[in-house]
Amino acid sequence: MFIGQDITRVDALDKVLGTAAFAHDLRKDGMLFARVVRSSRPHAVIKRIDVSAARALDGVVKILSHEDIPGENLFGAIRKDQPFLAAGRVRCKGEAILVVVAATEEVAQRASDLVRIEYEDLENISDPFLSIQSPVLIHDGGNLLSHRKVIKGDAAKGFEASDLIVENTYSTTWIDHAYMETEAGLGYLDDRGRVVVASSTQNIHYKMKEISRLLAIAPEEIRVIQATTGGGFGGKLDVTVEGYLALAVWHTKRPVFMRYTREESLLVQTKRHPLYIVYKTGARKDGSLTAVEVNIVGDTGPYNSYGETVCLRAAVHATGPYEVPNVLVNSRVYYTNNPVAGAMRGFGVPQLALAHESQLDEIAEKIGMDPLDIRMKNALKRGSLTATSQVLNHSAGLLETLKAVEPFWRERRKEGPGSGFGLGCMYYGIGNTGISNPSSCYLTLTPEGRVEMHSGVCDIGQGSDTALLQILCDALGMEEMGIDLVRGDTDTSYDAGSTSASRQTYISGMAVCDAAQKLKKYLKEQGYYEGKSLKDIYRAAADSGIPIFDGHFDPPTTAPDPETSQGAPYATYGFATHMTEVDVDEVTGVCKAVRVHAAHDVGRAINVSNVRGQIYGGVAMGVGLALMEEFIPGKSESFDNYYLPTSMDMPEVEAIIVEDREPTGPFGAKGVGEPALIPQAAAIVNAIYDATGVRMRRLPCDIERLKLALEKNQEENKR
Amino acid sequence: MLPKFAGVTAGTKDEALSWLSSLKNPKIIAGGTDLMVKMRAGKQYSHIIDVAGISELLGVTEADGRISIGSATTHARLSSDGFIVRNARSLALACGLVGSPQIRNMGTIGGNLANASPAADSIPPLLIHDAVLTLEARDARRKVPLEEVIVAPYVTSIDGKELITSIEIGPLRGYREGYRRVAKRATWAISRLGVAFAIREENDRFLDVKLAIGSCTPMPFRAKKVEDLLKGAPKNKATISEAIRMALEEIKLISGIRPSYAYKLPVLQGILAEVLRG
Repeated sequence: MFIGQDITRVDALDKVLGTAAFAHDLRKDGMLFARVVRSSRPHAVIKRIDVSAARALDGVVKILSHEDIPGENLFGAIRKDQPFLAAGRVRCKGEAILVVVAATEEVAQRASDLVRIEYEDLENISDPFLSIQSPVLIHDGGNLLSHRKVIKGDAAKGFEASDLIVENTYSTTWIDHAYMETEAGLGYLDDRGRVVVASSTQNIHYKMKEISRLLAIAPEEIRVIQATTGGGFGGKLDVTVEGYLALAVWHTKRPVFMRYTREESLLVQTKRHPLYIVYKTGARKDGSLTAVEVNIVGDTGPYNSYGETVCLRAAVHATGPYEVPNVLVNSRVYYTNNPVAGAMRGFGVPQLALAHESQLDEIAEKIGMDPLDIRMKNALKRGSLTATSQVLNHSAGLLETLKAVEPFWRERRKEGPGSGFGLGCMYYGIGNTGISNPSSCYLTLTPEGRVEMHSGVCDIGQGSDTALLQILCDALGMEEMGIDLVRGDTDTSYDAGSTSASRQTYISGMAVCDAAQKLKKYLKEQGYYEGKSLKDIYRAAADSGIPIFDGHFDPPTTAPDPETSQGAPYATYGFATHMTEVDVDEVTGVCKAVRVHAAHDVGRAINVSNVRGQIYGGVAMGVGLALMEEFIPGKSESFDNYYLPTSMDMPEVEAIIVEDREPTGPFGAKGVGEPALIPQAAAIVNAIYDATGVRMRRLPCDIERLKLALEKNQEENKR
Repeated sequence: MLPKFAGVTAGTKDEALSWLSSLKNPKIIAGGTDLMVKMRAGKQYSHIIDVAGISELLGVTEADGRISIGSATTHARLSSDGFIVRNARSLALACGLVGSPQIRNMGTIGGNLANASPAADSIPPLLIHDAVLTLEARDARRKVPLEEVIVAPYVTSIDGKELITSIEIGPLRGYREGYRRVAKRATWAISRLGVAFAIREENDRFLDVKLAIGSCTPMPFRAKKVEDLLKGAPKNKATISEAIRMALEEIKLISGIRPSYAYKLPVLQGILAEVLRG
């Protein structure tokens, strides 16, 4: 048995020894260096570009503009609307305009600084509410990127039938992924003249296709390799350095390396969407929810990236993990000239969790019900209907996570005046929303008598390589881990889809199981389980060719109805309950998250340490989201003024694993990557209320906002 | 990327002073925790003179009831030096809150003063200890009170040919001394507010109070008027309220009203109340 065990991660030794080659470590003899010249304006027409001084610099090899792109100049995961290099117009600060390729990084940088660009400014649409009204269109189709609705039952009647209604506005801001490793990569031509790009990425096959469009050459002529990757969280789903590298290699025929500085990464990489949420909840005196009406306005910046995904996912998760008979959600995401907002751990759901969890606590207080009891009363469980009227037939362990936290909740005791406790619950659809999102892999045997697993899954540090190997070993009934992993290379693997949406353990795990079933049948026929060695099996089969065993899985979903979003957008959901204890210093406004109990229904923990690691990391990010992280365009330039939590800000975390096995998942497993973060900020905000009587509806609730709110509250109490 | 520069390592104080006087555009580096950031942002110097290893600039000594701190002594050392902990507790506490462990291991007290940030944690404690800096050039030496050295945010009266060689402070014994600071996160953050205090009291009466406030005005300042008010005053609610009122008044007098005061002044009020109440 490998599943459920703490198998040492396959990447651990290389990382501990420092021998793992991250994208920043990649080198090739004679390589050139690329830097991107970027827009200093949020919205402008480019009148003139003068590269004469830059070109005259010794060591400059090429300066590339959009005119040097042989194929299509637009990319995008959902919609092709973002130029690799601006063609006459820039729509946000930091937008790429030119790529400078030079003999050294320093020359590339100096040359970039020498480029002179004349702009004619256009109106800077710095807010989605301005975007709604503005006659200035960021794209020809208008400033509304996406509008999704969830309609279930009759919300108006639901409110009529309620005993009380609570309505509030919540807002969140931009959050940076802040991965340890900034975007980087190396491009070169291989022996056959094909373009190869190795980079820090969450998806290799997608990037292969984008480079193919950019260079107008067949995908087979491109190879994308995932370098050891220092974190992603959604920020390395979009094309980052890969397009510039491919273009530079195509023009220079030489190896080209590039890496973003931290400042550059902060400036240009996608951010978590700021969402403005007006949330109305109706309930009966017994605590049961009768209706929810939510209006969401999101700021996606000038390009789609994953804006449509966030729009839809926020909508279908808007009720939270509760049975609500009547639902009306309008979710709209607008283009602005702010930073591009994209995929960021949770795709809009952490923002909604802040709202639905605050609402629930407020209702509980108004009717005199315990916050845990109101959650138990409304919790989705097996047989429940979600907001999209999907029947939860399978794993649905929210109640079990609530029960796991219950003893700590019931026994909670405030330590002092600033002490408070809060709960946060969440559910999260595993995999992409209502669209096909398959994963494939293949298995074969080696002459050394080992199974070889070819995986296109990008392990970005979360541990999927190890988890997939554990799944394969158990699926084959192997007693030792006799598997070689060939990974992260479009030449040697099938498309496994992106490492996002908490999908790899569940979906790629199932693809591995599928391939394993076929290999197992073959091994059975060959006598493996009667004691014949894999070496002998290989030898006997070598003449006729070693068969390859393909595995495939696409979770069963239905496309959301275009008007009502009703349907089954996900095959399965993760569930969680967090309980957080805070200590608020009312004098300074400093809130410290002291202790967290985090119970997660993961279906089945393939690797217990990995699951715990995800939960600890999710809590850390939740602390940042709740208390300090805030990207301010034009002001947040580095980690000097973008505050991330440190180890000293971390609460003690007790991770509790609940296993309500998912029949469609590999050995019952679901996903935990995003769920780990989602309820934490909500739990902190609820705890702050418990400690101080102040409701923080705008994140982050940093020391200044909290202090001012406390002051205001004090004054109101005086009156 | 850093601009080009030449680096020299001074083995002795005299060597450092001689480099300083003879080179065209030199800059002293000790820990480099401020300087490297500025240079990365484009600040250029022809020569960087490393003084971190000069033994004459290191350590804490006592003579004639005064404490002398070598300018290249690190924050880490000062935060844990037994002598400093006993005689200048606020300084030890403040140095222990500077940046992160890595920054405290590299950053020095002299560098903190030369940088003259309004938010420098070491300055308020040094102010209440009446710190006097020794500034040396190749053929000159002078002693200047800290209050006269810092003339504006990030601006000092130290000449380009001068080196801070030591900082002299007076010990405070029999005082309840400490440093309170507020920052946006638990560590590795610039102080939003810093208060150094040393209070001697007896029978519900303030005998002597020393108070300095950082991160609030263009330069950290010693609240002398408040100190005068409290000297000998009864320790009660009315005195404390009046002291706080006066402190806020003094701040507004120095820098007018700033947007950040919406947060800072109420917090300072709370901290001062806690500090004075004890």
